[in-house]
Amino acid sequence: MGEIRWETDVNAGVEKARKSGKPVFLDFWFDG
Amino acid sequence: MNTGPYSDEKVKKFLEEQFVPIRSQCYWDKPTEPMQRFGIKWTPTFLVLDADGKEHHRFVGFVPVDDLFANLGLGKGKLLYDTDRMAEAMVQFQTVIDRHPDAGATPEAVFLQGVAGFKDTHDPKALRRAYDSLKAKYPQSEWARRADPYSAIPL
Repeated sequence: MGEIRWETDVNAGVEKARKSGKPVFLDFWFDG
Repeated sequence: MNTGPYSDEKVKKFLEEQFVPIRSQCYWDKPTEPMQRFGIKWTPTFLVLDADGKEHHRFVGFVPVDDLFANLGLGKGKLLYDTDRMAEAMVQFQTVIDRHPDAGATPEAVFLQGVAGFKDTHDPKALRRAYDSLKAKYPQSEWARRADPYSAIPL
């Protein structure tokens, strides 16, 4: 399997979830 | 981007199939709107949201693969529990208990399975069974202490 297809826009991701009915896994990260 | 637990093939498959995965970069000098909306104070912070964007579970700090799976499962269970789908929540919590017995999130799954069982059946023995399980398997966990009042419920 390839890379995880991350959504990077939270609002767009939630909209995708609303359409699919799936829950959201949201990872807040910092590139330190 | 797919480093740490995200390089695990099972994690990739699970996230792709079961969730909409989102990564949101944080900037401490100029917090983003999502950081402010969800009150993010440290990274990594992980949230499980329902399809309307409402938060149901949060965990902070690096997690190895087994703990990540357990928290994802716990989050799905809490989503079902919070929306009064108790029978489905019980199944989800049991999955966490069976598949991830050594994960840090699992004692909470045991506790909530007992509560969901009581709410679903109105049988207080579900609470007593949760107490017994926590005392036997996770006696040092805070969830065992939280379940302590249920020790008085007769089986």
